[in-house]
Amino acid sequence: MELSLFAPELIALLGGLVLFAAPILGAGSATTWRLAVLAGSATFAGAVWSLPLSGEAFSPGIYYVDAFSQGVKVVVSLGYLLVVLGAREPVTLKAHAWSELPLFVLLASVGMMMMVSATELLTLYIAMELAAYPVYIAIALHRNPAIGGESSTKYMVQGMMASAVSLYGMSFLYGLAGSTYFEAITGQMGALSSTPLFWFGIILLLAGFLFKLAALPFHFWAPDTYEVSPHEVITFVASVSKVAAIAVLCRIMSLVMPAGMDACSVQNVLMWFAVGAMTLGNLAALRQSDLKRLLGYSAVAHAGYALIGVQAMSANGLTSALFYAVGYAAMSLICFLVVATVGRDQDRVSVEAMSGLWQRSPSMALVFLVGLLGLIGLPPTVGFIGKWFLFSAAIEQGQFVLVLVAAINATIALYYYLLVLRQIYLVDAPTDAAPLRWTPALALSAGVGSIVVVAMGVVPSPIWDQAAAAVATLLH
Amino acid sequence: MDGLPLLTSILLCPVIGLGLIVLIPGGAARAVRWVSLLSALAATVMSIQLWRGYDAVTGGLQFVERLPWVEAVGISYHLGVDGFGTILVMLNSIVYLTGVLTMWDLTERVKGFFGFMLLLVVGVYGVFMAQDLFFFFFFYEVAVVPMYPLILIWGSGNRDYAAMKLMLFLLAGSALLFPALLAIYHSAGLGTFDMVLLSQHRFDTDVQIFLYPLIYLGFGVLAGMFPVHGWSPTGHVAAPSAVSMLHAGVLMKLGAFGILSVGIRLLPQGAAHWAPTFTVLAAIGIVYGAFVAIRQTDFKFVIGFSSVSHMGIVLLGLNLAALGQAGEDALNGAVFQMFAHGIMTALFFSTVGFIYDRAHSKTIADFGGLGAQMPRAVSIFIVAGLCGAGLPGLASFWAELLVFLAALKTYPLVGVVVIVGLVLTAVYILRVFRDAFFGEANPRWQSLVGLDMAGWQLLPRAILVGVLLFFGFFPRFLLDVIDSTTTSVLARFWMQ
Repeated sequence: MELSLFAPELIALLGGLVLFAAPILGAGSATTWRLAVLAGSATFAGAVWSLPLSGEAFSPGIYYVDAFSQGVKVVVSLGYLLVVLGAREPVTLKAHAWSELPLFVLLASVGMMMMVSATELLTLYIAMELAAYPVYIAIALHRNPAIGGESSTKYMVQGMMASAVSLYGMSFLYGLAGSTYFEAITGQMGALSSTPLFWFGIILLLAGFLFKLAALPFHFWAPDTYEVSPHEVITFVASVSKVAAIAVLCRIMSLVMPAGMDACSVQNVLMWFAVGAMTLGNLAALRQSDLKRLLGYSAVAHAGYALIGVQAMSANGLTSALFYAVGYAAMSLICFLVVATVGRDQDRVSVEAMSGLWQRSPSMALVFLVGLLGLIGLPPTVGFIGKWFLFSAAIEQGQFVLVLVAAINATIALYYYLLVLRQIYLVDAPTDAAPLRWTPALALSAGVGSIVVVAMGVVPSPIWDQAAAAVATLLH
Repeated sequence: MDGLPLLTSILLCPVIGLGLIVLIPGGAARAVRWVSLLSALAATVMSIQLWRGYDAVTGGLQFVERLPWVEAVGISYHLGVDGFGTILVMLNSIVYLTGVLTMWDLTERVKGFFGFMLLLVVGVYGVFMAQDLFFFFFFYEVAVVPMYPLILIWGSGNRDYAAMKLMLFLLAGSALLFPALLAIYHSAGLGTFDMVLLSQHRFDTDVQIFLYPLIYLGFGVLAGMFPVHGWSPTGHVAAPSAVSMLHAGVLMKLGAFGILSVGIRLLPQGAAHWAPTFTVLAAIGIVYGAFVAIRQTDFKFVIGFSSVSHMGIVLLGLNLAALGQAGEDALNGAVFQMFAHGIMTALFFSTVGFIYDRAHSKTIADFGGLGAQMPRAVSIFIVAGLCGAGLPGLASFWAELLVFLAALKTYPLVGVVVIVGLVLTAVYILRVFRDAFFGEANPRWQSLVGLDMAGWQLLPRAILVGVLLFFGFFPRFLLDVIDSTTTSVLARFWMQ
């Protein structure tokens, strides 16, 4: 056992202990928050440090550390840090829960970091649940108990159903391969790939991650949960967890890709999920007046875009999906940071609440504009080049019609995003609206997020090359 | 240029301007205006340098810069201009400079306006220079995006509707381009988006025939192609003056330029295959636009539909070039028209905007005898109108002549139809003159007497008029540069 390979997770876990102990020892929420920022920074530093490492952290075959896993961990830990920076005063949570939020979100991040390293079914399952449970709890901490309870229950019931489906799928794989190790499964691919049940198992296994991604057919939670969950928690759910979900989907696809044409059934299913998610998400979003709900449907649509890369089943496809997930996390993060600030006093944030945002805070309006341009898919943001990569990977596989459908979908989406922009820039703010102020931490978080969105759009090669290297190790 | 290549320097002018504007505090409107003006001046000076430096005898792609960008997928930052690019960069600089001058008096949200306007200009320059499909599309979208806020916030009339309609039309066009451009890349199998390398590849005839209409339609939307032109007049009308200038003056040229440099240059056989169909559509566009313009009651709608009609001439020229019989005339004419129409509509909108800002009306019937009250503004409008009608001595004359000759040679019937369009153009232009400018002075506008264009307000209009006259009398300067590239583009049709 090589402990240094487990460093980022270990730092995060230690941080979790500190965050657990601090309130008990009488630390106020401000101190806990500072500790959380510290823990996040340390984890991020650890992840960056561990980037060149590779090997196996525990007994062979369970837990891989490679360019792929560590790259995703860097993103997850940075995402955690930015979310916490933006949640200095998580006002939509109960006051006593202010010092608990960083802990739960950190534990969920650890779960996600473990998910991407897991190469054994049970480890993967446990990591997945570790990533899920803290979020269920955090949502329940809403300042309005009725809303918190309802929203958390909805999310939890659907989440547990999805993970049960995943577990069911794992049982098929175990039954057929006689092992829960990915290596063993790959080793028998020749025999397994001709068994329809194996493919059935793989598709079921994907369920848990499609759920996290809010992709069809496990998307039902997204609009509801986005609408009423505490802003700060949903900021995390809408950004960081998508990267982890896409990463695991890539891992699973890399498992079955050697089967080549036999894997078509999975590819086909995912393609239809992608088409369905894009179309449904965009059409449903057209009719929303609640901004968080609208972004929830937009998340469904973006899950569809990302799946285009996953279903392409090629190195370029997986790379583009990873690249897009990272970019999407940044766009979604900055949008929600602004939404959380604007909607401080409300449980729900309507599109109308954004009226005249440019008058209340021009810089906040600009950040939101950058985020929305990203979601629309316009340059110079990562949304544009990310879609370019995704679509390119699909065209490479001859999926011309799929790309046309996706591009038409992007045009439909334009309509509802533009209506939000219109609200911000054209409609006057209500006269009694208080000016919005940046806290330094929030400004830092939104600033970093915006820079990532634009920088990845203009100079994509560093992240792309990193993602390509990660996928290469995956396919090795 | 201190080592910085010329094209990147031109591109950087508005980029730096934009960066400075973002940093200037919102209240400092004067500083914002001066930054915009200086960046426009710098870009114009460098564009003149580019024109002078372009060697029309050698022709081909010049001022090439190439830098790998995302090597893994074959994207490179590759700039370069041929004869077409050179004159269109010049066109953009002129419209950019005169646009800034036209909007000098703007007082509402000045910082945002010039910021978005400069972003638009960056996109337009980029498209005219890009030699990489990715960057071509990238800049194309950069140019389209700012139109929405520009019309929505600073527009007038039915701006909400116009801005949304424009964006939905244009991005629906992009939805066709997206898969088509990527398909070009993958079917070439060269692993590069470099347009120069791609243009040396011979694409499968079936692929060309399949992809060309997508490219043509996708870019055609922006070129105001009939029947997908609906966004254009409404957009023109609602937009503030400088935005209409850029929109009709250069943005619509991006569409035609896209068809030319992606469609015709990369997929010549596809272009030849579809040319008869699209020729008919272009001819309909010319006549239809002119007919509708006759019936308009609003100044800007007249010009908006005249743009559809005049851009029809560009599209017709491009299609006739693909047919080959009179290819050289047709293509020369089309590109000449892109330049001439750009300057002309800029002049139109600059002047109409001036009148509107003072009279707060764009309804033709409201006026009458305005010539007596605002003689200078009206004279300038008349110059633009006569240019639109194809009067000799003004730049458009040569463009229209070349395309009509080509049309007559290729399809005599189309040539006749197009001449009918020209007559109709004269009808709607002269109608505007009669109803708004001549005849009895309307006492309602007596208050405008002292408000005619004066001093520096004449400057942007004078520049535009000067350009129209100069190339009207000395078309050779323009044609030499254009022709150097036309030959090589047409050679693509013989090669295959």
